[in-house]
Amino acid sequence: MSDFLETTVDKFTFKVATDRFYNEEGVWAKEETGRVRIGLSDFVQKRSGDVAFAEIKTAGTVLAVGGEVAIIETIKVNVTYTSPVNGKIVKVNPAMNNAPETINQDPYGAGWLAELEVANWEEECAKLLDPEAYFKIMKGQAEEEAKKL
Amino acid sequence: MMEKIQKVIIVPCSGIGKPYGSVSREAAYEVTENLRPGQTRLVPLALLVLGDDKSRSFVVEYPAVTIDGCKLGCAAKMVQQSGGTIAQEFAVLDVYRRYKDLKPQGIAELNEGGQKLARVLAEEVTAVVDGLMTGKQGGENA
Repeated sequence: MSDFLETTVDKFTFKVATDRFYNEEGVWAKEETGRVRIGLSDFVQKRSGDVAFAEIKTAGTVLAVGGEVAIIETIKVNVTYTSPVNGKIVKVNPAMNNAPETINQDPYGAGWLAELEVANWEEECAKLLDPEAYFKIMKGQAEEEAKKL
Repeated sequence: MMEKIQKVIIVPCSGIGKPYGSVSREAAYEVTENLRPGQTRLVPLALLVLGDDKSRSFVVEYPAVTIDGCKLGCAAKMVQQSGGTIAQEFAVLDVYRRYKDLKPQGIAELNEGGQKLARVLAEEVTAVVDGLMTGKQGGENA
């Protein structure tokens, strides 16, 4: 499988990384060396616009699936995002303080939000959307957004 | 001997219907109409896009300060494409990050936060203009 699934809607191209899992909001989760890193999908960052501020829950915060993990303020909107997994935040991306635009620049890489300790990753990811499933949902959301233009 | 700069061109964002675009234009008006009317001239982005000869000649002849409303950076790009020299690029978002309590809202009419942010931005632009006029700031891209 290639690294990304891609679709172009109107003039925008949206990528879905194939090496991670997603919730329907477009928050991704990826296991890396025993921790689970979370972030926002390419579609979510493009839809929301340039990020002005990113407020991430602090290290030590215990999150349940659906619990508020981040408030992102962009030039268009303020959006609250929820955790795709159960776990405890062990690290917040330091870039979120001084360079939150990294979310726009590299949503699947340097623009990650936080790292969580997760008790049972296999169990957690079984409840999430795989890249193909999220891609279908995202494409539908993008097409709905395009109708508003 | 360094040639004295006679004028600085201000090119704001043309984003209509967006608060950050409005802040960029309000700041540009503040500089060119109130703070440094004799030393600056506003060149509308739309005229550069249309290839207006007079506007192009201004950005070719004088250093430009661009004020962009978003990261697309249309003002900066158009000055460069028009053959101009950018003395300093400003992005409204970068200024807002330093003044979080001045959140710009509203489109046709900016809220108080947006107006204050425009004023802050205008003062920063004015400082750059003054630097250029006195030769304390070079004409390099910021």
